Amino acid sequence: MIMTKSAYQNSLDGSDRCRAKSLAKKTGAMPNILEMTGIEKHFGPVTALNKVDFHLERGEIHALLGVNGAGKSTLIKILSGIYAADNGRVVIDGEECLLGSPAAAIDQGVAAVQQHPELVGDLTGYENIFLGQEGADKGLFKRIDRIAMRTKAEKLLERFPVEIDLAKKIDDLAAVEKEIIAVLHALKQENVKILILDEPTSTLTRVEKVQLFKMMNLLKNSGVSIIYITHRLEEVFEVADRFTVFRGGRTIATLTAEMAQNEAVSIPQLMLQQEMGELFPPKSRLSEETTPALEAQSLSLAGSFSDIDFQARSGEILGFFGLVGSGIDELAKTLFGALQPDGGNIILRGHTVRLPSPKAALKHGIFLVPGDRRTEGLVLSDDVTFNTTLANLRRASFLGARKFNTNRQTVGDLIEKVELTPPTLNRAASAFSGGNQQKIVIAKGLYSQSDTYIFVEPTVGVDVGARSTLYGLIRELSREAAVIVMSSDCDEVFGLSDRMSALYRGHLVVEPNAEMTRDELLSYGLMGSCN
Amino acid sequence: MHRILSPLMIRVLIFLALVTVICAVFQSITPRYLTAANFRGLLSAMAISGIVAMGLTFVIVLRKFDLSLAGIASLSAMTLGFVLSVTGALVPTILACIAIGLLCGVINGALVGYGRLPDVVTTIAVGSIAYGMAFAYNGGADYSDNFFSSGMVTLNFNTIFGIQIPVFLLLITALITGFFLHATRFGQSFYAAGENPRATFYSGISVQNVMIVGFGIAGALVGVAMLIQISGIGSSRVTAGGQILLPAYTSVYLGAALLGRASIPATLAGSLIMTMLLNGFTLLSIPYYYSDAVVSFILIVAIVLFDPKIVQLLKNPRRFFLTNTAG
Repeated sequence: MIMTKSAYQNSLDGSDRCRAKSLAKKTGAMPNILEMTGIEKHFGPVTALNKVDFHLERGEIHALLGVNGAGKSTLIKILSGIYAADNGRVVIDGEECLLGSPAAAIDQGVAAVQQHPELVGDLTGYENIFLGQEGADKGLFKRIDRIAMRTKAEKLLERFPVEIDLAKKIDDLAAVEKEIIAVLHALKQENVKILILDEPTSTLTRVEKVQLFKMMNLLKNSGVSIIYITHRLEEVFEVADRFTVFRGGRTIATLTAEMAQNEAVSIPQLMLQQEMGELFPPKSRLSEETTPALEAQSLSLAGSFSDIDFQARSGEILGFFGLVGSGIDELAKTLFGALQPDGGNIILRGHTVRLPSPKAALKHGIFLVPGDRRTEGLVLSDDVTFNTTLANLRRASFLGARKFNTNRQTVGDLIEKVELTPPTLNRAASAFSGGNQQKIVIAKGLYSQSDTYIFVEPTVGVDVGARSTLYGLIRELSREAAVIVMSSDCDEVFGLSDRMSALYRGHLVVEPNAEMTRDELLSYGLMGSCN
Repeated sequence: MHRILSPLMIRVLIFLALVTVICAVFQSITPRYLTAANFRGLLSAMAISGIVAMGLTFVIVLRKFDLSLAGIASLSAMTLGFVLSVTGALVPTILACIAIGLLCGVINGALVGYGRLPDVVTTIAVGSIAYGMAFAYNGGADYSDNFFSSGMVTLNFNTIFGIQIPVFLLLITALITGFFLHATRFGQSFYAAGENPRATFYSGISVQNVMIVGFGIAGALVGVAMLIQISGIGSSRVTAGGQILLPAYTSVYLGAALLGRASIPATLAGSLIMTMLLNGFTLLSIPYYYSDAVVSFILIVAIVLFDPKIVQLLKNPRRFFLTNTAG
C-alpha cells in the first residue's frame, strides 16, 4: 500500500486523471443528484472549507475520508442545513436550493443519521422510527394509533434482509439494530434522495457491519444516493463506489474504489500531508523467559468469560482480539479490579492478589485505558493537569495539599512525551480530539507510574494520523511495562501485538502465541476455530 | 489571539459591578446603608447563611442535593439546648451541636453513596427524621437554661482578634473549606466525582467515601451555623432551621452563576450579594415575607444562568436552536 511520494504523484497526474476524465464523460449522461460547487465556510479566522466542489452521482455510495478537521463534517453539516455556507452553490436534482435549516434540507430530500443517533431508549423500535410523526392529527387528545404505526414500520423494514423485533425497547437492541432503526427514522419521509451516514460503523462489530452494508446496497439499488463518512479505510473497498479525500478544508481527490485498488493508491498518504510510514511500529521479540508481570489462572466470570489463562510479560505487547460481547471488556475490567471474578487467580510478579477495586489495582501498578474514554477515562470538563494527576493524587500532593507548580511541570513533560496537540495544560479535556483525549489518558497512566497497562479498544474514534502515533506510544510503553491490548479490530491486534490470541464467547481460543497469521486470528475471533 | 481579560477576570468584574450597583441603589434611598455599623451587621447576618452555603457547596460540587439541612439544623439546635441545660458547659455543647450535624450528614452520604439511593428523596427523609427527633428532646418546648451562665449568648457579640465571633467563624470556615476544596487532593476528587463518577472510580478513588465526606461537611457546618443562630436568639427551639435552606441554595447557585462553577469563593460572592439585598430590604422596612419572595426569585434566575444549556444559548442562539432541533 505504501508508495513513494513521486510514484503517487505520477499515478494521479498520469493515467488516473485520464480515467477520471473518461469516467466523468460517461457519467455526464447521468446527471448528478447533488452538485456542491465553490463551498466556503469560515469559523472566525479558521477556514473550514476552501472552495470545495463535491458531486454525488445518482444511486452511488460515496465515502468521505479525511483526518479530523479535514472538512468532511463541515460539508455534511452544510448539506443537512445545520451550518450555512459562506459562499458557494448547492444544486440538488438539477435545482439550486438554499439550505438554511435542517427542515429545508429535509424538504429537499436530504436525510442525515448522526454519528451517535439519538434514540429514546425507553421507547420501542417502531415508536422511535416515527418519533415526532406519530400521526397526521396533532391534536393533544388524539390517540396514537400504535398498530398502524407498527405495520407501517414493519413495511419499511421489510425492504431489508434484517430481522429486528420492532416491538422491543431500543435499550434491548444490539448496536447494529439501533443504527438500522436510526436509518429507518431518517427514511420515514417519502422523498429521500440523499442519505448521509456519519461514521455508522464506529460501534459495530464485523458481522454487524456486513449487515449494515447489505442494507446500504439495497438502498442504493432503490435509487437513494448515500454519503458515508468513515475512519476505517478498508470499509471503502467493501461498500463504497467512489470516495473523496479531504485534507485541510479542500478535496484532494475523488476516485472510484476500483481504481484505487487497482492502482494501489495509498489512501492514508492522500489523507496526510506528509508521507506516512508503517501504521504499526516494529515488533519486539523477547529472547529469554522473564517472569510474567501479570498472570491469569483459569479466571472466570459467570456470563462473561471462563477459564482464561495467560501470562503478560514486561517488554512485550500481548493482544486479544474479540468482538463486542466476547468478554474482552469484562476481562479487562476484572484485571483492573472493577469487576470481581467468580473463580481463578490473578498473579502479579509471582504473588496471588485480590483486586477488590480499581484503587487496589492501581496500587499494584495496573492501569486500565478504558474503551470509552469519554465516560470512563476522563473528567471532560476539567483540564489536562486535573485529568492526568487524577489516578495518582498521592503523588500530586504533599500532606494532602496539591503541589500546583510541580504538577504543572511533571504533566508538562508528560504531554510533550505523548505529543499532545495543542500542548495546553489548562484546556478542558472535552476540547481535544478523540486521539488527543486518548493521549491524555495515556499521560494519566504514565503519571500513575504503573507497570502493567491494559488497553481496551485503544483507537475507537481516532483518525488514521493520530492512530499511528498512539500505536507508537503503546510500543514505547511496552519497553518498560507489560502491555495488554484488547480490541475488536483484528488488524489492530495483529499489527500491534507480539503475542496474540482471540476471545470467542468468553473462551480463550488458543494460547497466546507469536506465530499466528492475520487470517487465523480473524477466524478464531469470529468463529472460535480455524479451518 | 491574545486576550486582555481572562474569562474569570470578566466574571469577577461583573461581580464587582453588581456589588457597586446594589450599594449605589440602596445608598441613594437610605443613607444608613454604607456605614460601618451596617456593614458589621451585614457580615454577621451573612455568617449563618454563608456557613451553611459553604457546606452545601460540597454537595452541589458532587452534583447532589441535600434537602435535609433544615431538619438537621433543628436537631442540632435542640441537641445544643439539651447538652447545655444538662452540663452547663460551653465546650461539650459546641462539640455535640457540630457532632450531631456531622452524624446526620454522614448518614446522608452513606445512604446516597453506598446505598445508591436517590439523593433528593433520601435527604428529605433523613431531614424529616432529624426534625422529628428534635421534638423528642423536650416535647417541642424551648431550652433556655444556662444560656447566660455558660456564656453561650456571648458567642454572638464577643470578639476574637477584634472580629465578632460570627464573622470570625465565617472567615475561618471559608479559609478551611476553601483550602480543602481547592488546594488539596481530596478537593480534586470532589470535582472529579461530581462530573464523572465512573472515570473517578476507574482512577482509584472511592466515590462513596467522597460522598460521605461531602454530606458530612454539609451537616457539620449546619451545626456551626446553629451555634451562631441559637446564641443570637438566646434559646434553642425546634423551628431554628426553618429559614436556612433557601438562602443556602441561593448563595451557591448565584455564586456558581457569577463565577462559572460552584466553589467556595463563588458561594461567598453569592452569599454576599444575597445578604446585601436582604440587608437593604430590612433597612427599608420591607416585610420579611417579601424578601423571601425576592430570594426565591434570585434563586430561579441563578439556576437559569447556571444551566449549561442556557449558557450555550446566550453564547450562540442560532446554533443552539439548530443543534437542539435537528435529529
